[in-house]
Amino acid sequence: MLSYVIRRLLQMGLVLLGVTILLFIIMKLAPGDPARIMAGMRGTPEVIEAIRHKLGLDRPLHVQYWRFLTELLTGKLESMTFHMPVKDLILQRLPATVELGFAGFLLAIIISIPAGIISALRRNSLIDYSVTTFALVGISTPVFWTALILMIFISVQLDLLPVCGRGETLWGWSILTLDGLKHLIIPAVALSSVLMAMNTRLTRASMLEVLRQDYITTARSKGLKEWVVILRHAFRNALLPVVTNAGMQFSEVLFAGAVLTETTTAWPGVGRLMFEAIARRDQTVVFGLTFLMAFGFVLFYLIVDILYAYIDPRITYD
Amino acid sequence: MVETILSLILPGLGHLLRGEARAGWPFILAALVHLGIFLVALLRGKLAWVTGPGEYWFSSTVLYVILFLIWAGAPLDLRRRSRRRREREEYGRGYWEIVRGRFIRDKKGLTGATILLVVLYLALFAPFFSPYDPLRMDLKNFLSPPSRAHPFGTDNFGRDILSRVIYGSRVALGVGAAATIFNMILGGFLGLIAGYYRAASDAVIMRVLEIINSIPFLILALLVMSVFGSGIPQLIIVLGIFGIQPARIIRSEVLSVREEDYVMAGKALGGSDLRIILKHILPNSIASLMVVATMQIGVNIIVIAGLSFLGFGVKPPTPSWGAMLEQAFEYMRVAWWMAVFPGLAIVLTVFGFNILGDSLRDVLDPRLK
Repeated sequence: MLSYVIRRLLQMGLVLLGVTILLFIIMKLAPGDPARIMAGMRGTPEVIEAIRHKLGLDRPLHVQYWRFLTELLTGKLESMTFHMPVKDLILQRLPATVELGFAGFLLAIIISIPAGIISALRRNSLIDYSVTTFALVGISTPVFWTALILMIFISVQLDLLPVCGRGETLWGWSILTLDGLKHLIIPAVALSSVLMAMNTRLTRASMLEVLRQDYITTARSKGLKEWVVILRHAFRNALLPVVTNAGMQFSEVLFAGAVLTETTTAWPGVGRLMFEAIARRDQTVVFGLTFLMAFGFVLFYLIVDILYAYIDPRITYD
Repeated sequence: MVETILSLILPGLGHLLRGEARAGWPFILAALVHLGIFLVALLRGKLAWVTGPGEYWFSSTVLYVILFLIWAGAPLDLRRRSRRRREREEYGRGYWEIVRGRFIRDKKGLTGATILLVVLYLALFAPFFSPYDPLRMDLKNFLSPPSRAHPFGTDNFGRDILSRVIYGSRVALGVGAAATIFNMILGGFLGLIAGYYRAASDAVIMRVLEIINSIPFLILALLVMSVFGSGIPQLIIVLGIFGIQPARIIRSEVLSVREEDYVMAGKALGGSDLRIILKHILPNSIASLMVVATMQIGVNIIVIAGLSFLGFGVKPPTPSWGAMLEQAFEYMRVAWWMAVFPGLAIVLTVFGFNILGDSLRDVLDPRLK
């Protein structure tokens, strides 16, 4: 197990190294001079040249890359327009995103798993048709539109919830205050909609597959109660493919979704920071954030793989 | 002979005469639908053959070509049928015939296909269907709610939203399909190489895919678009290059196909790699390629909308659903209709692709027979 984890960690490092190279290539191919952007309106040629020297832009490419890499990894990367290190900027915004992500994730799980199970058990019934249709519509709906529609009809027209922003926070968490919780509802529902739909489909398909197996028939013929058969025999085995696919698709949907939802609902997290940085052409912040997302993705993936062994004792890594 | 003449008067009549009503109805229906579009265009004075504005010209040409195909297709189909009746007894049914039979009975697939046909026709014949010019501003009439004159209301410049939604389907389908063709060619090529040759090429391609995959598709596209500028050509190229995740699926398909006996036999007969790939691997992977492509168009349409919404996709004033939503966002407090209709158009179109893809997967997979 340990050697597997170590091997995976090495692989993870390699992928992340590739990500930094990809980002560096994009950064170098980009038109426009970062020194000029940093200098702003008052930039005389001397000032630009000085910034250029300070950033090391007059050095050979491999030196520049090395500098980019070390700064990225040690958190010394300086934002081009916010006048503070990228690390601090991200740390300042991260809790809001973590909160939103968890809320969306939990909401998706709580609704999708029971929906998927019920839909599989009542196959071809009215419930099944409505759940599958709903899930199909869900994966076809862009999250930012869901957020926009909820904002328009629930906040603006009916005036039930605040329109945007994060509201009051307690110790940096808005879920602890009533006002903050009200602000959280719309972004969390919007973010979770696609996850929910995807996971419902996965759970249903996986349950249908498992329910066909012989051991389910055996369990039933032993006279076990139906819920024991469903939960202990069927669901536990059905969980495995759900976790794999979910691990991969969730982080993709979660990160991309966070940028769109946070931008729409003015939620002050890293997703919105990403949009702001892109709009301000602040390359270092954008690349730092992208790297963070890639890091989050591979980490998520590793955790899923390790979780595997706990969910399914049949799997051993060596 | 009589049948041929009849089918030249109205395609499908010949089929009816021969008692093949089920094959004839689609021809009659298609001919009537297209004649209807022709009449609408004629009455509204928007039919243009060579002269006239570019968009009218495009739609008119497409309409004439389709009408010609229907008229030419009916007698040809009649001929094919009389020939095949004899062959059927000798050969039985082929794979695609079986697939077609199954697809016709699949309600989900038919629903998806119908939705997509409607959207496709709106896109092709946008100038005939849209009540106004999508770019014409009417500043006296801005932000007016849905009414008889403007069923979907007007936007902040007084442009008719219904017309803009209809024209928006051109961007969504056009850019979505173009990007997907790129994806399939590039991804298909990489997947084939990786799956067929294995070894070093496989390792390299898979690592590159892993790197690209570790950054969410939308974020990567956003990043590149923000750096290199936005616009439709850039959109197609960026989505085309970075949406190559189909390569994974194609690779695994190739991996399973290359172990089949017929590939072995092809190799034993001295077939070159190119021949084996083109003659054996590709035709046997085509089913999963179709499913992947259908699903990918849906993904691409959503990403295009997302990018345009953030301001890095299709640039205004070109009517695109995502950019329309960006404007709707600004006028959220006063004009709900600006947000509702373009969004519904996205949902409906992507839903169509998703259920069609779902159904194709069921229909094409012989293992589930």
